[in-house]
Amino acid sequence: MSCTLLTFTSKAVPLSSLSVGAHALVSGVADPAAGRVERLLALGITAGAVVTMLQTFPGVVFFCDQTELAVERAVADAILVRPMEDVR
Amino acid sequence: MSCHVVREHASAGPAILTLRAHPLRIALVGQPNVGKSVVFGRLTGRYVTVSNYPGTTVAITKGRALVGAEVCDIIDTPGVNALEGTVSEDERITREVLASNGADLVVQVADARNLRRALMLTAQIAAFGKPVVLALNMIDEAFARGISINARDLSAELGIPVVETVAVDGQGLAELRAAMAHGAVPHAPSDRTPLERAAWANELTQRVRLTSTLSLSRIPELLARVTRRPLTGLPILAVVLYVLYLFVGVFGAQTLVKLLEDGLFGRGINPAAIWLADRFIPIPFVRDFLVGQYGLITMGLTYAIAIVLPVVATFFLMFGFLEDSGYIPRLAIFCDRIFRVMGLNGKAVLPMVLGLGCDTMATMTTRILGTPKERLIAILLLALGIPCSAQLAVILGILGGVSPAALMTLFAVVLGQMFLVGWLAARVLKGERSEFIMELPPIRWPRPGNLITKTRLRVWWYLGEAVPLFLAGTVLLFVLDRLGALVWISRAGEPIVTGLLGLPAATAQILVMGFLRRDYGAAGLFQLAHNGQLTGVQAVVALTVMTLFVPCVANFLIMVRERGLRVGLAIVAVITPVAVFTGAGLNYVLHALDVHF
Repeated sequence: MSCTLLTFTSKAVPLSSLSVGAHALVSGVADPAAGRVERLLALGITAGAVVTMLQTFPGVVFFCDQTELAVERAVADAILVRPMEDVR
Repeated sequence: MSCHVVREHASAGPAILTLRAHPLRIALVGQPNVGKSVVFGRLTGRYVTVSNYPGTTVAITKGRALVGAEVCDIIDTPGVNALEGTVSEDERITREVLASNGADLVVQVADARNLRRALMLTAQIAAFGKPVVLALNMIDEAFARGISINARDLSAELGIPVVETVAVDGQGLAELRAAMAHGAVPHAPSDRTPLERAAWANELTQRVRLTSTLSLSRIPELLARVTRRPLTGLPILAVVLYVLYLFVGVFGAQTLVKLLEDGLFGRGINPAAIWLADRFIPIPFVRDFLVGQYGLITMGLTYAIAIVLPVVATFFLMFGFLEDSGYIPRLAIFCDRIFRVMGLNGKAVLPMVLGLGCDTMATMTTRILGTPKERLIAILLLALGIPCSAQLAVILGILGGVSPAALMTLFAVVLGQMFLVGWLAARVLKGERSEFIMELPPIRWPRPGNLITKTRLRVWWYLGEAVPLFLAGTVLLFVLDRLGALVWISRAGEPIVTGLLGLPAATAQILVMGFLRRDYGAAGLFQLAHNGQLTGVQAVVALTVMTLFVPCVANFLIMVRERGLRVGLAIVAVITPVAVFTGAGLNYVLHALDVHF
């Protein structure tokens, strides 16, 4: 995907609030519970990573790069993203 | 491929044969499920189990390989997402290989689709100061997803050889061997903060990677989607379980067992052995030892080969298929909430499902879980409730012939008991659970070659592991019988066996054998049932008790190795009464409700 087709909304929202199919840019991880930031970072979830929401129930499943990740809701609530809007 | 990269480095100077105190040690390091074990197999010609889920390798495997003119030690390591900070037990094993000077050269195996993550790990590997070669594996899958990587630029940026490989096909392996002589410490910001390293990886990836929207992998993507959505995923799970039941429970446990037990052993081997023994062995004692009621051939071998082997073989085949397809980790999404009640998270589905193959192996796989508390609970539940393939064999063999309701009752009681014990353990034990964060492997069509090799090796392993114990158990039974101890055991066990559990007195000795190996005990039940000595209710009660027992001596030893003797004994001390009292309760309820299967 190239940037000409997408614009960012400025406000950071929890990853869990994205609807299925939405793309977003990770801006950070809130509520740094023990080891959470570390573990997410090791899996590539870091500021600037592009994520795509795949499923929100029963677990939250999303793509980050080419990695399909499943996380529990509390984790998805803590990952802050800036949704990308397709303006095409 | 990337021969140019290799040649460039090769021109720097010829590889020189050096005198070494030990063979050059080459460690294969990389994220989970990137194909390290496949590369290992290709380099050494030794097969280690390969599957399509993170965490197949939880211990170190070593092998020899010829690299250039030198014989080298190749070390296959458990996959790592990180080498620093808090890491899981399997990751720690890999870190120790690097930290303890256990390797002279690191071959980082990377999933070409996930270059960014791979580079973040490269930066951590660089901190150990070892020469590194980077293998971009699964380049074909990356290509199918519209990703191409400029290996030459990447090599120049990192200052290390970069080789593109498709290890399952052996592509790029010759180049990888050639590149090993030219490994160097990567130019990577190993001394920066994790966030700075992530930014570096991000930036470098964008420079050397080209992504197009082209995607050739529509069918796997569709399968990935339908297997994880509840509306389609749960019906698919039901179908998978039903097919598993048909293949293992009906074809394996009934058709094949019948063929082997009644045919091969019943009409062939056993009569022939008895005839030979009667003719050529004049000593009755020896005759009985071989072909009597507790004979090595008529009991030990018959149990192991005719009753258990067919089910184990069919199970391993089907199970290997599920492993390689990438399906099993997807179940974690559905299990997460249930497991949370038991102090675990969805990730625990891996050891639990693997336990159906072998509880002993699965006990080692608990290393992938996040915290000590989770590992302990998982080990406890594996020992308590998960029947291994051999035992599943006998359960299906006996109850398949009784009624589906009997089978359902057994599974409901065992699952209920696991849930209860897990719930209690989660409250009683100290420690924390970790959050559910799990990588799902892509759905792939299993390779027949790997499937056959894996199944063959596992069947051999079963034969090597179980047959000696079955034979030893038979010898023990024979001796106990001769000493008159079996009668004594039956009498001593009577209050529990006939009183509490409502089982025939002969079951006592079988339960004792169940301590040795629960599938062996279960095979004894199979024969009782076969001879019409067990009612449906008795079969269900006896099998429930047996299933809840600690699986086998090997499993106990692994528990001790992983968690220490104290914990191992404590687990047995918890499980044994739970097994007996659950059986007693079940017996009481079934009689009170006047159930007949």
